Order: sequence, then C-alpha cells, then structure tokens
Amino acid sequence: MDLHQLWTIISLPDNVPIVLLMFVVPFYTWYALRQAFANDRLIGELEANPALAKTHHRKTQPWKPGWAKEVHVWPFLLRIEFLAAIIVTLILMIWSITLNAPLEEPSNPTLTMNPSKAPWYFLGLQEMLVYFDPWIAGVVMPSLIIVGLMVIPYIDSNPLGNGYYTFKQRKSAILTFIFGFIVLWVTMIVIGTLIRGPGWMWFWPGTTWDHNRLEFAVNRDLPDIFGIKGRVAKIIFGAVVCGLYGAVAGWFIHKLIAGRSLMIGKWKLIKEQPFNQRIFKRMSLLQYAVMQTFLIIMLALPIKILARLLFRIKYVWVTPWFNV
Amino acid sequence: MSDQEQDKDPVLSSSLSRPLFIWSALLLLSLGWGLWDEIYGTRPWKSYQAQFAKVYTAYLRRVRPHEAGFEKEIRASADYRKLDSEMQAAEKTVSAQVAEIDRKVNQELVPRILALNDPFQEVRGHIGALTYQIETTDSESSKNSKRQEIAKLRQEKHSIKLPGDEKPEEMDFGLMDKTLQDMKNEKAQLLQQRVEILKPATELRAQREKYVSDRIADVSADTLTGLITKMQDFDIHIRQIHIKDVELVDRCESCHLGTREPVTLTKADIGSEVFVSHPNKELLKIHDPEKFGCTPCHGGNGAAEDSVLKAHGRHKFWLWPLHYRENFEAGCQQCHVKEIVTEMADTLNSGREIFRRRGCMGCHRYEGFDREPDEMTTVTQQIRQLEQQKAEWTREIGFTTDKADKTRSNEEAQRLYQHANDLKVRITGLDAKIEQADIRSSDLIREVKKVGPSLKEVRMKMRKEWIPVWLEDPHKWRPGTKMPTFRLDPEEIRQIGAFIWQSGVTGNLPSQAKGDPVKGKEAFETRGCMACHSMGEGNERQGGDFAANLSRVGEKDNYDYIVRWIHNPRERTLPYCPFERRDLTAEDYKKKGLPFVFDMDHDKCPNDGHELQVEQMTPMPSLRLSIDEARDIASYLMTRKHDNVTYAAADYLDDPQLKSKGQFLVRYYGCAGCHEISGLEEELRIGTELTKEGSKPLERLDFALLGHEAEDQGWYTHKGFFEHKLQNPAVYDTGKEKPNKFDRLKMPNFNLSKPEIDQVATFLLGSVDSTMPERYHFDPADQRQDIIDGWWVVRKYNCMGCHQVHIGQTTVFMVLPRYQDPDWKDQKPPSLIGEGARVNPQWLMRFLTNPSLSDTDANRDGVRQYLKARMPTFYFSSGEIQKLVRFFAAMSSQAAPYIAPKMEMVSDQERTMARQLFSSEGAPCLKCHMTGDPKHDARATAPSFLIARERLKPGWTERWIVHPEMMQPGTAMPSGLFRRDGERWVFAGPTPPSFQTYARDHADLLVRYMFQFTPEELNRLRASAGAGAGR
Repeated sequence: MDLHQLWTIISLPDNVPIVLLMFVVPFYTWYALRQAFANDRLIGELEANPALAKTHHRKTQPWKPGWAKEVHVWPFLLRIEFLAAIIVTLILMIWSITLNAPLEEPSNPTLTMNPSKAPWYFLGLQEMLVYFDPWIAGVVMPSLIIVGLMVIPYIDSNPLGNGYYTFKQRKSAILTFIFGFIVLWVTMIVIGTLIRGPGWMWFWPGTTWDHNRLEFAVNRDLPDIFGIKGRVAKIIFGAVVCGLYGAVAGWFIHKLIAGRSLMIGKWKLIKEQPFNQRIFKRMSLLQYAVMQTFLIIMLALPIKILARLLFRIKYVWVTPWFNV
Repeated sequence: MSDQEQDKDPVLSSSLSRPLFIWSALLLLSLGWGLWDEIYGTRPWKSYQAQFAKVYTAYLRRVRPHEAGFEKEIRASADYRKLDSEMQAAEKTVSAQVAEIDRKVNQELVPRILALNDPFQEVRGHIGALTYQIETTDSESSKNSKRQEIAKLRQEKHSIKLPGDEKPEEMDFGLMDKTLQDMKNEKAQLLQQRVEILKPATELRAQREKYVSDRIADVSADTLTGLITKMQDFDIHIRQIHIKDVELVDRCESCHLGTREPVTLTKADIGSEVFVSHPNKELLKIHDPEKFGCTPCHGGNGAAEDSVLKAHGRHKFWLWPLHYRENFEAGCQQCHVKEIVTEMADTLNSGREIFRRRGCMGCHRYEGFDREPDEMTTVTQQIRQLEQQKAEWTREIGFTTDKADKTRSNEEAQRLYQHANDLKVRITGLDAKIEQADIRSSDLIREVKKVGPSLKEVRMKMRKEWIPVWLEDPHKWRPGTKMPTFRLDPEEIRQIGAFIWQSGVTGNLPSQAKGDPVKGKEAFETRGCMACHSMGEGNERQGGDFAANLSRVGEKDNYDYIVRWIHNPRERTLPYCPFERRDLTAEDYKKKGLPFVFDMDHDKCPNDGHELQVEQMTPMPSLRLSIDEARDIASYLMTRKHDNVTYAAADYLDDPQLKSKGQFLVRYYGCAGCHEISGLEEELRIGTELTKEGSKPLERLDFALLGHEAEDQGWYTHKGFFEHKLQNPAVYDTGKEKPNKFDRLKMPNFNLSKPEIDQVATFLLGSVDSTMPERYHFDPADQRQDIIDGWWVVRKYNCMGCHQVHIGQTTVFMVLPRYQDPDWKDQKPPSLIGEGARVNPQWLMRFLTNPSLSDTDANRDGVRQYLKARMPTFYFSSGEIQKLVRFFAAMSSQAAPYIAPKMEMVSDQERTMARQLFSSEGAPCLKCHMTGDPKHDARATAPSFLIARERLKPGWTERWIVHPEMMQPGTAMPSGLFRRDGERWVFAGPTPPSFQTYARDHADLLVRYMFQFTPEELNRLRASAGAGAGR
C-alpha cells in the first residue's frame, strides 16, 4: 500500500474537487431522495385523506391548527438561502487561500507529460476514448450528450413533480438521471482522475504509479473472435450485432417506458407500472422514438465499457469509416 | 420541550440568528485571514525586509564607533592636521571675497533677474504664438496683420521696477532682453570667479579627504552614518533587477538585501545567511547584476517571491533550480562553454579537467572537448572546398581566354583577358590558403592525443600475466588510476586480454644494458618526472596526478621498453596510416624500395602519400636524457614492485579463438575511446553526448526502478541523477531484470571521491542549452580568445605541474618535500606569471620548439642549465606553439606582434661604468647568474646574461631589476638594488666614483648594457670578477 502515492494524488489541488465530488454527490443524492420519499409518504397520506388534503399545504410536517398555511419568501426562505450563501462563500474563501492553482513547468512540445490529463470536467470524455474510436468518443458522443440534454423537455411528458421533491411521480426520470450522471459521468471522472496513471493504465488506489509498469493486454475486435476475416463480412457482422443489441435493448426499454411486466421464464424481471402506462399513453410516436434512441445509446456505453474491461473487446462493429 | 413550544409553527418561530451570527463571524474571520495572506502570507519578503532593516541598522551602529575611533586617530595625526590647517588657512584668506560674491549674486542679481523674467517671458510667449500662426496661415493678408501685431508688441513699453532701483523704468521688449542677458552674464562671471578663488582651498580639502580614505580599508564612518540614515527611511518594497532585452526579472534582492551593500556582511555580522554580502565582489564587478541579473548564474526563479521554495525553484516544476553550494560554479559553464580554465571557478575547472583527463570524453562527446578531431574535420572540408574553387576558376580561365580569342571586339577581348588574369591572381591567393590548411592538417595529426597508453605496443611493453589482473580491477592494483573499473566476468577478462595481447604489434626492441637504480632514483625525483607521475602508495604518495603512479611499475613492464620510452616516449614501433587504416610495416617500405624510416621529416605514407601518425599519441615529453640516464631511471623503476607478488600464468592470451570474441568486447566497452588499439583506430564513441546534458528533460534521464525512491528521498533531480550515476555507474540497473549482460549499463566505475563527484556534477549541471542570448556567451574577439585557446594547450601538456601559470596556483614542485629544503628551494622550475611581458615571443617560439636552444648539445636546458629539473621537449606542433606564445602574451596584455623597442647604444664611458657596477661588491650579479664557467654554473641560480638580448623585453627587465620581489615573491634576486631619486632610479649600494657625475637612470643603463652583452664582454667581466674574488 503506497500511502504516499495516494496522498500525492488526492492532495493535488487539481484533484481536490474530484475527491470532494466523491463525497458530496452521494450525500446530496441521498439527501434529496430522503426528502422525496418523505414527500411521497405525505402524498400517499393526503390521497388517502381528502379532508386533510383540503387544508394541508405544507409538505414535510403534518398540519396543525394555528400554523400558517403559507409562509412568505421573505424572510423565511431568503434567510435560509442567505445562510447557505454565507457558508458557501466561506468555503470558497478558505479554498482559495489554501489551495493555489498549480502552475507547472513551461510547455515543451517535444515532451508530453505522462499521464497527460484533460481538465477534471473533461476526464469523463477522455476516459471514453479508452472504449471507443476517437471519432465516436470525441465527437459523436459529446454531441449526443448535448443534444440529449436539449431534448429532455421535449420528451418529458410527465406533468407531475414540479417544485417539490418526489420519487414516486418521477421514478424513470430520476433513475435515468442517476444512471446517466452518477453512474456514467461521475464514475468516469473519478476513474480518469484517481485510477488512471502513467500510460493511462489502471492503477487501483494505493498502488504506486510506476512509469516502468508494463501490462500485457491484447484487445481484439469482436469479429476477429468469431473468426470473421473479410472487410465486408466484418461490416455486416458488426451491423447485425449492433442491430441485435438495439432490438433487445429497445424491447427491454420499451417494457420499462410502457410500464409493462417482463417475464423471462418464471422470473418477473420488471413489474407492471400503471403510472408509467399512463405517462406512456401521453407520448407521441416521435417523442417515444427519440427517447428510445437516446436510452439505447446511453445503455450501450456501460455495456461497451464492461465488454472492454472484462472481455478485452476493442470494437464490435469495424468499418473503414468508423468503429463502434 | 413544553407542549406550548411544540405547538408553535417551527418555520415562523424558529430563529436563525445564531447560525447566521456564527457563520458571518467566521466569514469575517476568513476575510481577515484572506487580507493577512494577501499582505504577508504570500509576500514573505516583507518580513525579511523588516528584519533586515532591524539587524542591519543594529550592525551599523555597532561598528560605527569603532570605525569612528579609528578615523579619529587618523584625524589626530600630524599630517592630517597639517593638511587641515592649510586648508582652513586657504579658506580663510579668500573668505571675505567669497562672501562678497555670494552677497552680490544672491541678494542683488538673482532677485533682479527673477523680477524681470516674468514680464519678459510674457511678451516672448505672445510673440512666439503669433509667429507660429504666421507660419501656419496661408493668407498673405492675415500674415501681414500678424506681423504688424508683433511689431507693436515689440515696441510696447512696460513699466518695470526692479528691486534696488529707485523708480520704475520704461522698457520695450528689446531692452528687457538685453538687460536680462547682461544680468545673467554677470552672474555666471561672478560664479566662475568664486570657483577660481576657492580653487586652492578645494584642492587642499580633496587632499585631506584622500588622506583619510587612503587609510581606511572598508568604509568610512561617514559612509556608515549615511547608511544608517538610509536605513531609517528604509522602504519595504520589491527590489528587482529588470533587464529588458532579455526579459529577465530577478527579485532575489527583495530578501537578499545585503548582497550589494557597501559594507561587507558575513553571517557572524548580521546573524542570518539571508543577508550576507556576495562573497566575491570581484566576480560581481565583472558580471554586473544590473546587466546579468542573479538567476542566469545561480539558477532559481527570479520572479517568484511567494515562498522561499518557489523563489529558489527547488520544486519539480521549475526547470532551473538554484544551484547547491557545491555546484555554484555550474552557472559559469553555460556562457564560458569554450573554456577549459575559467578564472575564479576552481570547482568547475576541476570538473572539466576530470572529464578530459580521466577519459570521460573517450566515450562521451562534448562539444569543444574534441578540439583536434573537430578542427581536423573542418580543415579537411576547407581544403576540399578550396580545391574545388581552384578547379572551378581554372576552368573559367580556360573558357574566358577561349571566348576572348574568338571575340571580335577588341574591347571585349581586353575585358575578358583582364578577367582571366584576375582569376589567376586570385588562385595564387587560394594556394596560400591551401598551404596554411595543409600545415594545420599535418599539425593536427600530431596534436591528437589519447587518454590512455597505446595498446599496440603491449607485447613489447608488458608482462602477459599482468593483463588479466589489471583488467579485473585497475583500482585494486593501482588505487586512483585513470583507468576505470569495468564490471567484467572472468570469461570477458580472458577474451579481452587475448584480443589486446594478440593485436599488439611486434618490432625491433634493442636490448639494453642495466643502469644504476640509485642514480636513477635521484634523476627520477629531480629531473621533473614527478610533476606528472607520482611514486609511493597510500600516504607515501608523492608527485603529480596527471600521469600514472609508478609504484608497482616493476611488476608489469619490460625493462628494454621502458628505457626506450623514457629516452623518447614518442618513438613508435610502426607508423599508422589513417587512410589505409592500418599500421605500416617494413614490408610496405621495402616494396616501394624505401628505407624503413619514419619521423617528423618522413611522415608520408609510401603507399598513398597520406600523412602518417609517426608518433605515440601521448602528451609525455622527452626530457632529452642521455641513454645512460634513461637506463638509470628505467632500472630504478624496475625496482619499484611489491615483494613476493606472483601472477598466474596467462597462456590463454595466445588462444586465437578468444581473440574474435575479445574484439567484440573491446568494441562494446569502448576501449578505443582512450587507447590506441590495432584495427579500432577509427572507432566511434559509445556513450551519449553530454554537451547539453544538464538541460535534458528530467523525464529523459533513466532513473529506472529508482525513480520513486529518488522522489521520496528528494534526489529526483539532475544533480541527484549525476551524483548517483558517478558514484556507482551501475546504480540504475538496480533491481532490473537483464538476463542478457549486454543490455546492462556499461559505464565503468571511476571510483571518484565525493569532491570529485561534485566537480564533475557541477560541470554537467552547467552543461545546458543556455537560455541567455548569444551575446552573453563568453566568446571574445580580442586577446582573451588567445587565453581561452592557450589554456587547452597548457592543460593538455600539464605545464602547471612544473610552472606557476596563474596567480595563486600551486605546482607539484611547490609541495614536494625535497623542494621544501632551503638548498632545493631555488631548484624549482620558474614561475610563468608575467612570462608574456618578460620574454620576446620570437625567442619563446624557438625555446618551445627546442628547449635546449642548441642543435648540437640536446642534453641540457637552454636557459637554466643549473636546474636539475629540465624543460622537456614536447614536440609541439607549430599551431600549439603559436597558441602558447599568444597565450602568454595575452596573459600579460602584450600587443602582438612584438616590436622590440630601439635601444640607445651604450657609450664607451657608460660601458665602463656598467662594468664597474656589475663587478662591484654591491651588485655581485655574476655570483648567481650563469657565466659559462662549469664550476661556477653548478652553483648558479639565474640564467646567463648572454641570452638576455634575445630572450627578454627591456621594459620588463628594468621593472624586474628594480622590484623583483614584487613580481616573484621569494625570488633569489635581491630587491632594493635601486632607489628612487627624483625622476630616476639610482643604484642603492655604494657606486663606483664614475657614477658621481652621471645624471641618467642607473637601471636603464644596466638594461642597455645587458642588451648589448657579448661573450667577450662576459669573459672580460668574469676575469675582473675572478680577480676581485681572488683578492
């Protein structure tokens, strides 16, 4: 266990945000979900008791006689926000005094630093380069991420959950977000920052980042594993595999979106969701298609990562123009 | 909690005051912290400056009374008081006049000038503005109207009352101008008068001040008081040197405030290392910080100032960290890259010398160190180009002449013929150039030397059994030897030994009679061998470290060969032809019907006419010993051995199967970098080039598995890399899995001591791609270049083993125990400080070519025959002689070429007088100076007067006889022979009566006499001196 190395990595001013991220993101996720579950309970209570629903407007505490039905923004909300602002300012103040921006040596075009890392917020993208063709990881995926974020308001046909924390009413949206942001994006940033060492090799925390380390790893394309030789054959094979994945993933996702149960043998993989069924009915075909497309692609990312890490598969679909 | 409280609405009733207060207070505190950090935290230099102001003032106050007391004493002295009273008197006599002038100027003229100035300038300003309008207006009519306006202004009267006048005066512009000018002239005149009147007093005052300042070593009490006043107004601010055109900003002096203070501050004075003065003021004078800054020499980050670590640049992101104390001189190397000796940089010089002499350069190229081979390449190329040019022009002459013959126009033909003729003349110029290049090229063959001995002669020189023992670990057999220890396994030793042994040449080696070891020992110790070679082991070791320690030479060498070697070390068994790349044998000569003779005069290859290597490539000179003396010394050396040492038989060295494997190994280990080896004469270097090693990115230095350890222990730096590598060249193989032994690091271990490692590390740390612009590099176009070049030759042949070449240098003779004895003190070779001023360069050239100065009797020294130690014959090339002569001239700032001053002939009367003085008891010149009489010369301690005319420069000779002690402290030449009498030197001792009426300079007379000295004159003197001695 090389504690010195560990300390060197986590104490680097550049990496401090990531270390913070590792604690802050789970904490606030948990905190938000706690509130959401409390609200969900209250919603359930109110739905069961129409009398209470008429008088109750507060969400976290049960209503009591003599309590105000509504409170003013000023001072009751703003003072809390003001306190939060003070605390955040204090944290930023201390941070800026104690941690200086690292200024490294003059750039040398003949010498690349090893590992050379992008700014922390791009490390997720850089990590993706390990699993995909630069064209896919560097251009297609980032564009899709941006477009995907842009289409969220369009494909969101669920009118509930505005202005309060709830899980029950926005289950799929929240789960998709947690999967996309925390599982994919944040994890990749953490991997890129703390795990990837010299030569972009995988160093578990606590091991020494040894520049001399050599690793034996042969990555093969999926067609080669199946012994497919010709170029055209490879293209067709890749298209078929990807198509197959699309069909299976689309079917699976459809079950989720539409709220239908999914039985495989006698195992019930997905329960029936009447709420999802209602939302599904509100969607137009275009909304549905767009949503499917993005979800299929999003799901493809971790599958490819696992395929690469566990089975050393480089590309699935090899063509002269792009590789997937 | 009561029910009532519980019933209250928590949102409305709860108070946030407490958290708001606490957090606001914390925020305020952090603001305070931020301000403190901004003002002091990131500006530690402020605290340093405050501390400096305190300790420096305290120090100044402490030393001032002492200094003042000292000055008081000076001021109390009679001389000072005399000067003071003279000055006071002079001031007094003129004080009334001065006061009158001051009154007139200050009370009359100045107020009047001021009073008139304002109205005058008003009118002048108005006129000026109108004139400008005239110049810029196009309309003639408006110009005219402006002119009229000006005329009116000029005539307008102003009523002005000047101070001192009764009533106002009416003045127009012209009058005002004239009055003002008159008054100004009068003022200037009066002030000039004042200076004149005060002149004697001012001069006396200056004399008085000089009297004080001449007697104070450091700074005067006045200066100290001034400094204290300065420190009272000490302002805390960044002190920086900004050199615009280099974009250099050095703020080092923001903390290191004492660096350039006029008072020399030491740590003891001021209590902190931070504030001490620069230790070498001389150095700082040459490299003015205002022009050079600090970091170009010292390293570090001159602009950084928020922490000591960053300012010193000793973190991994600053590429030029501050040099450590032991490597300070690394900073010199980047600009003084062409030098082998840089004044005031002893560590660096030693580092370079190790690099050169220990053979680092045999494997590692370093630009500038391969002077001869590099120059050889240039010269060869130059010759080729010149010959091409010549051929081109010859062709053009043909064409032009042809064309001229055919042309119709007479004029055109004339022009073409003229052109052809011009080209012919220009070709003769090329011929001259080619001739020079040819001379240089044949010189260069002689100038190339090898670090180690030639291995071609190994069969003739060595005992076979010794070779494997030596190869195993040279340092075990001969501690401190140049040859490094290679990490060879027994099989490799056998193979290398076999190759070396079998590739040796054989030749005719005459068998020598035995000599006398006792006489040989004496000769070895006194002839000068020990200036380069050492004898004795461990603490017994004496002599120079330029060449081998000869303590065990008797165990390994062949007597006959050693005799030949001592007699003439440059004698080669077979000549080497660089063109054919082999040693020529007698066969080659026989085939061409030539006698097998090769030497300086027969140095062309019989097969192809190329220049041959006819000498051993060793710097070892010939001492011009007789063959008997050579035998004596060799016999002595053969007695130098350990008792009862046995060597295992090594018959396998003759095994031809081992030889080919051995050749591979010899090539692999780069043996030919230092040794001449048959078949490997033109081998290339095996090591990496080190010219810019100090600025190689750290990532490119292969710390191998030690990188993390180095980082943890703080030596992941260039310095750390070099030091560990030099200490143990195999260190970066530690832990590496290299089953193939040829993958391992092959650099051998030189067993350098810690100081030596520091010296070499300093040299390497300084070997950087300089960030300083070219013009900062020391590449002078004047005589200083001759000094740079000369040092290479001086170092190459170890002149400094015998001679003092620069001030403060120690020679081997100066420390040899024998020469501490008063009888032997004067037997040391002469000092060469001031040699350029002393000798005529023409003579020096002859002397360096043949130090015996005789064609018939080589077994002698040309100048100082009384010395046991003898100036050897180095067989310098003409280029080297030129460099040496220019070097000595430049060291003494002598103009070149030397033109001997015209000397006035000595009149008959003067000759008689000089003779009398020469043989007088007061100046027994001939007692010490050689006379040519063998009996006398055996006891002489100075050269003969006969060679003075050719050898010396008259100016130097005069300075020498007047002040020998100043030029050479400890010289046997007596000082105080002359005393100053007005403008001339007169003999200090009793003078013969004829001198009573002689009004000219005695020293000059003697010099002129000396420079017209003849052998007859000497005989005459000798006779009279002999008569005197007999009496």
